[in-house]
Amino acid sequence: MKITGKENRQWSRLGSRATYGQAILMLAEINNDIMVLSADLGNSSGLDRFKSAYPDKFINIGIAEQNMIGVAAGLAKEGSVVFASSFAPFISMRAAEQVRMNMGYMDLNIKAVAIGSGLSMAFLGNSHFGLEDAAIMRSIPNMTVVCPADCAEIVKTVFAAAEYPHPMYIRLTGAVGFPVVYEDDYDFEIGKAVQILSGSDVSIIATGSMVYESIVAAKILKENNIEASVLNMHTIKPIDESALNLVINKGKPIFTIEEHSITGGLGSAVAEYTSSIPNSPTVNRIGLPDEFVVTGEYRYLLEKYGLVGDQIASTILKSLNK
Amino acid sequence: MNTNELLLLAKKSRIKILDLAFKSDGPSHLGGGLSMVEIFSVLYGKILKYNIESPEWKDRDRFILSKGHGVLPFFVALHYAGFISEDELYTYKKNESDLISHPVMNMRLGMESSNGSLGHGLSMGVGIALSLKKKSNLNSRVFVVLGDGECNEGSVWEAVMSAAHFKLNNLVAIVDFNKLQSDGNSETIMDLGNLEKKWESFGWEVCSLNGHDIEALVDVLSSLNLTDRPKVIIAHTVKGKGVSFMENNNTWHHNRLTLTTFDQAIEELNNS
Amino acid sequence: MTNKEKYNQVFMESFSVSSDQLNENLVYQSVPQWDSIGHMGMVAALEEAFDIMMETDDIIDFGSYNKGVELLAKYNVVI
Repeated sequence: MKITGKENRQWSRLGSRATYGQAILMLAEINNDIMVLSADLGNSSGLDRFKSAYPDKFINIGIAEQNMIGVAAGLAKEGSVVFASSFAPFISMRAAEQVRMNMGYMDLNIKAVAIGSGLSMAFLGNSHFGLEDAAIMRSIPNMTVVCPADCAEIVKTVFAAAEYPHPMYIRLTGAVGFPVVYEDDYDFEIGKAVQILSGSDVSIIATGSMVYESIVAAKILKENNIEASVLNMHTIKPIDESALNLVINKGKPIFTIEEHSITGGLGSAVAEYTSSIPNSPTVNRIGLPDEFVVTGEYRYLLEKYGLVGDQIASTILKSLNK
Repeated sequence: MNTNELLLLAKKSRIKILDLAFKSDGPSHLGGGLSMVEIFSVLYGKILKYNIESPEWKDRDRFILSKGHGVLPFFVALHYAGFISEDELYTYKKNESDLISHPVMNMRLGMESSNGSLGHGLSMGVGIALSLKKKSNLNSRVFVVLGDGECNEGSVWEAVMSAAHFKLNNLVAIVDFNKLQSDGNSETIMDLGNLEKKWESFGWEVCSLNGHDIEALVDVLSSLNLTDRPKVIIAHTVKGKGVSFMENNNTWHHNRLTLTTFDQAIEELNNS
Repeated sequence: MTNKEKYNQVFMESFSVSSDQLNENLVYQSVPQWDSIGHMGMVAALEEAFDIMMETDDIIDFGSYNKGVELLAKYNVVI
């Protein structure tokens, strides 16, 4: 699936959810096997156009996320490629055991899509935030966990997922105005990190919404003549170990950045691998604290918890005691 | 409060809900909030035992809003009951406020539980009702408000079954049956069928009424006289009730008021 | 191109309608393309065409072809 900067800017204006809906609509034009499920959040997942264009490929299961994953298993067992979307906690936590039994254990071809993950649910608060979802989903065997960096990568992820015959958790962060990372087409492969910037002084590894913020941070670090590399690790599981080896061999401090708890997400995955390599550099995890956060506007919350470009840069500078 | 006073409270509450939503400068769950105004007015205006000076008073009735996104009538009811001051009410949806789009447990403000994820409140209600019995507290009762779409969740029915099994005659559920949910009308999304019969078959005493009829609500809620089973009130309501362009118009499930729509709604309510 | 021609072109392209549909009957959700996604595309196209930034209230109140003319006047764009 090729993308252009112009398309990416349009999708960015629509935001992550509407882009997911558009991606599903485009996918349906070339893939006849997909079935798309929603737990009474079809409108909120940007699926209106898909619903009216392909009514027989859409199933609304009502407010019943556990049932949704079970029904998805039946459809997948009979050969469908199933995309099932809801808000992050309702899939990854309420239906976690259904994900484990029906997706992980049976290795069925289901893509659980979390819309509005991270802090993007803003004033809806902790009941709706997705801050521990990657940690839970990543701990289940056979699961692949992907967190796209911008709207173009959401589209690429959806298309790649349709060809990837294994269970996946696709974690959509960002909201309306999800910033553009990719101005041009690029190779996207599940499990393979994407080098965004190279720099030899410090290594930044980011996922989802934090890839853009890391690019901003890298520019500020450059002004402080520190060259930072930025690696987009969209796939948190299976982690790209060869990419990590290159980062480790540079011997420079590693900073992981995620709109997720620092417990059990990208940072933990990188630290788990890196700690097994002798003389490897330190891994500094930047993310949400292990606590229920306050509520506010999305941007306010990112700033409150130091997840905006200039704050990331100063955190890194302080850590390098510059 | 008598019926007329409750009618005035309901009217005043609707106006306050719209003002609060408008001043929050963002989207709110207006439709599913306006459908519950009479329910909250009767509960907090007449039925519930509470003490704003000591919110943890052991003989209070416990109230849980399982339909968490219905905070607008809840906060306004808590305001007129005296738990939430005028100033604090208008911190609704301000950064780091205690008053957001879903209840966050806060006994000072009269909120027994945190909600927002659906299908949790009734189970907690069962637990509280069980505990009251074990502590032989015969005064307090537990009231739980659920949405109709919320009844799609399996966890609701686990709670419904267990409450009857435990013969919890100190537990009252109220279902705001407004026939609409996020994606549209409930019948086409996930048909609940005969909701009264479902609760009855699970062993509950069932009462069905017009959820906007204050006298009917007062009548049922003041003479619960429960024997050996919990009671459910299926309140048939209109989503967006009280504002013509919002009634049964699901774009107001979660939507933002503009100056024009706000003025129009307030004008209607003032003339009602 | 006059402002009216620019305005009409945005509507025809955003909602794949013909010029004879550009009247008071053209309202939100009256044609399949004028849904929430199409609405945002149309607003973005108008903002680009007339180099303006519309306020959230106006974007929400923008419920018809005629209402748009009234709203754009607030941004000194006379259709």
